[in-house]
Amino acid sequence: MTRAIRNYFVFLWRCARIAFVGDWRYYTWMGALTVFCLLGLHAYARQFAQGLIVTGMSDEVSWGVYIANFTFLVGVAAAAVMMVIPVYIYNNEELHDLVIFGELLAVAAILMCLAFVTVDLGRPDRFWHLIPGIGQFNFPASMLSWDVIVLNGYLLLNVYICGYLLYCRYQKKKAAKWFYIPFVFIAIVWAISIHTVTAFLYVGLGGRPFWNSAIVGPRFIASAFAAGPALIILALQVVRRVTASAPAGETARLREGAAVPGAAMCRAATLDDLELLARHLPELASVSAEARQNSLAGAMVLEVGPGDALLHQGAKDTEAFFVLKGRVEVFREESGRFRITRSVGPGEQFGETSALAGTPRVATAIAEEPARVLRLPADSLRKLMRNPQMNRIIRSRMRERLMITDRGLLTLRGIVQVSMLINVFLLINEVFKEFYSGNLHVASAKYLFLGLHGYHALVPWIWTAIVFNLVAMVLLVLPLSRSLKWLNVTCVLCIVGIWIEKGMGLVIPGFIPSPLGEMVEYSPTLNETLVCFGIWAFGLLCYTVFLRMAVPILQGKLSKANEGQPEPATGAPSLSAAVKP
Amino acid sequence: MPLPAPSPNPNPEPPDAGMSRRSFLRTSAVLTTGLAALAASLKPLLEMNDFPTMERFLQKYYKEMTPEDMEKVLQRIEAEVEKQYGIRPHVRDLKPMDGVEFVYCLNLTRCIGCRKCVHACVAENNQSRNPEIQYIRVLRLPHGSLDIEKAEHNYAPESVPEKGYFYMPVQCQQCKNPPCVKVCPIHATWQETDGITVIDYDWCIGCRYCEAACPYWARRFNFTKPSIPKERLNPDMAYLGNRPRRQGVMEKCHFCIQRTRVGRYPACLEVCPTGARKFGNILDPNSEVSYILKNKRVFIQLKEELGTSPRFFYYFDV
Repeated sequence: MTRAIRNYFVFLWRCARIAFVGDWRYYTWMGALTVFCLLGLHAYARQFAQGLIVTGMSDEVSWGVYIANFTFLVGVAAAAVMMVIPVYIYNNEELHDLVIFGELLAVAAILMCLAFVTVDLGRPDRFWHLIPGIGQFNFPASMLSWDVIVLNGYLLLNVYICGYLLYCRYQKKKAAKWFYIPFVFIAIVWAISIHTVTAFLYVGLGGRPFWNSAIVGPRFIASAFAAGPALIILALQVVRRVTASAPAGETARLREGAAVPGAAMCRAATLDDLELLARHLPELASVSAEARQNSLAGAMVLEVGPGDALLHQGAKDTEAFFVLKGRVEVFREESGRFRITRSVGPGEQFGETSALAGTPRVATAIAEEPARVLRLPADSLRKLMRNPQMNRIIRSRMRERLMITDRGLLTLRGIVQVSMLINVFLLINEVFKEFYSGNLHVASAKYLFLGLHGYHALVPWIWTAIVFNLVAMVLLVLPLSRSLKWLNVTCVLCIVGIWIEKGMGLVIPGFIPSPLGEMVEYSPTLNETLVCFGIWAFGLLCYTVFLRMAVPILQGKLSKANEGQPEPATGAPSLSAAVKP
Repeated sequence: MPLPAPSPNPNPEPPDAGMSRRSFLRTSAVLTTGLAALAASLKPLLEMNDFPTMERFLQKYYKEMTPEDMEKVLQRIEAEVEKQYGIRPHVRDLKPMDGVEFVYCLNLTRCIGCRKCVHACVAENNQSRNPEIQYIRVLRLPHGSLDIEKAEHNYAPESVPEKGYFYMPVQCQQCKNPPCVKVCPIHATWQETDGITVIDYDWCIGCRYCEAACPYWARRFNFTKPSIPKERLNPDMAYLGNRPRRQGVMEKCHFCIQRTRVGRYPACLEVCPTGARKFGNILDPNSEVSYILKNKRVFIQLKEELGTSPRFFYYFDV
């Protein structure tokens, strides 16, 4: 027991420590974020001392950009679930490891939400009045009390799921399904609930006709499921670039390597070759002689020189490879960019994932130096894997690979596509109802879209949002956005468009004109804006730290096995150091 | 968004030298800079002279206080007010009277839009003068319409009344089904048995959800520390009524609890030069308001369609 607790604290300590290790790019990025955080903190300290008078809010427009950001971020947090559904319900392997990135994003987004609500309070010192059991909790009547429960619950759920999966990976243990799958399903329902509850905050107010419309809830969900995955698409590409990128000078060499046809000296494998492999792969020793003999059917040994290709990305052959001597590098070409994913040494395998699954190769492998490689048909590998020790080692190595594939990103694109179409459709519904019926309550919508009585502060904003959303929608429907460059543009348009539409475009016009028909406009002050930037910087800081911890764990570089050794550096540099001639 | 891509330290130091002189100096330099930056960013807090004391921080919720608790709190409030304004106030915790439900009636035919009620209210209820907080907003409407979106808030003629217009003062409608009470996450505002919706100023966290929920724009927020000239302070105070508020909490019309719960009329009624304002106990069949609601033929509950059921009735002499 004490040992388990000790191990857990060592894990936490190492995670904390690794957050402070990085190269100059890491320190620059973190340093810049820290500066913004401190500027935000300074602005907030001023607000704390002088009151909310330092914001642009008034008795007429009593919520502003804080609550607008809050609303947007609840959507981002909720959308993490869109990664979870394909993985756990449809068993989409491509997205499996990516779920953790989505959930970590959810955690960061919820932390930002809580910060935005806190800075919006007039008396943050009385926060304890909100704690159920200690304060006075108006549950279930107040939607805000629901929000307190669902947001904090969602935070705990995601921290638990991510923490459990990462800790298992750290210990190289298989996660026990009963310990997390039920929570994953709770989290899916919960994610919908956090955003629905946030919509109900507005929908429930009869005195604000602009919000008091049943369509706000569905619109919130649709726009969240467009903006959230869009944000994840961008984040994943950043992770991919910093964890597995070929240095610029290497690209030409790799392109050449990929073009070389598979050429090698070839002979049938013998038991001696397996003996040689067993020297680097002790688990093989436990395989019975009979099973070894069986596995030799169709097995070949290849002798290759530097630069010779062993398998090609996209090919449909079904063999797995073990390196007997020398080194082989594995790389992927995606969107014209080459990424070295691994450098494989004696005793290690490659190509087994697609061999076992019968799918096309996702990477190319070429020899770095003169190498001897054992090529096994998928069936032979399966025979070897009947031995439990072999099975465990092969499987655990397969899991250690962090794969962010273009196919995974395009799956997310599909989600953004559908959600954006629904979002724009719902927006049209809303606009039609408001303007066609033209009853008394159209004033807020008129103010938002066209301006009212000479006031039109929001008009340029909402039309920018509409243009962004429409362009994004068209791009998403066109095959153009299958290229990552255009997909990224689309994602940025989605995020900005939805941020405006749902933040400034929903919260502010609800207050204008006031319930007594008065026109008072709102625009955020500098102090308020600095607080917002500070909170966004804080959120990005959190997310960066989470990724800094999660990536090496997922890659198997930070694990219980290497306790006591210096903390690993992430991704590429160690690999690129290895490939230099 | 570059993530870390550090290269391994080219000359790894032996683990024992992990806290070598150089790295120690570097770590402490980073720590000092960080702490200095943190301290600098928190500097505005030094301007605060109103940090909540432990006693105030832990003060109990109104409905959970025993009479002894309340006695202590009232004395503390009196001392605080005296310290700040130099006047010893009389703060009471007035409970609703049995068999009383207050109702307000306002005669739109008589109201001339002079705004005397607005200012009497400010004086009576110790509202902040800077920034200005007022509970009553008088709307000027053109004859022939009750469309609030056509209302003029900032009318400023030489003299009132003006031809072609009528005036409608709006304040807290003391709804029977108040949206503000429903949405408050911490029960800081509630409806008392005499129909008055009150606020515990020492419990409110200032989320302003009630302000968003109120269809009558009756609630006001203290965006900064309220300021009242010493000589203008009304020392006759009630805990749930007109005692001075703090920065960051809500307030609103409470039918002058400090007056009406001891049998007096609200300040806005007393000052009205035309007798347009009527106030009383609807449970008493002989009260003036009972008479009006029984005998006047036209009366309006503002935004009746929202189902808030106001205890504030507008009527015309027809």
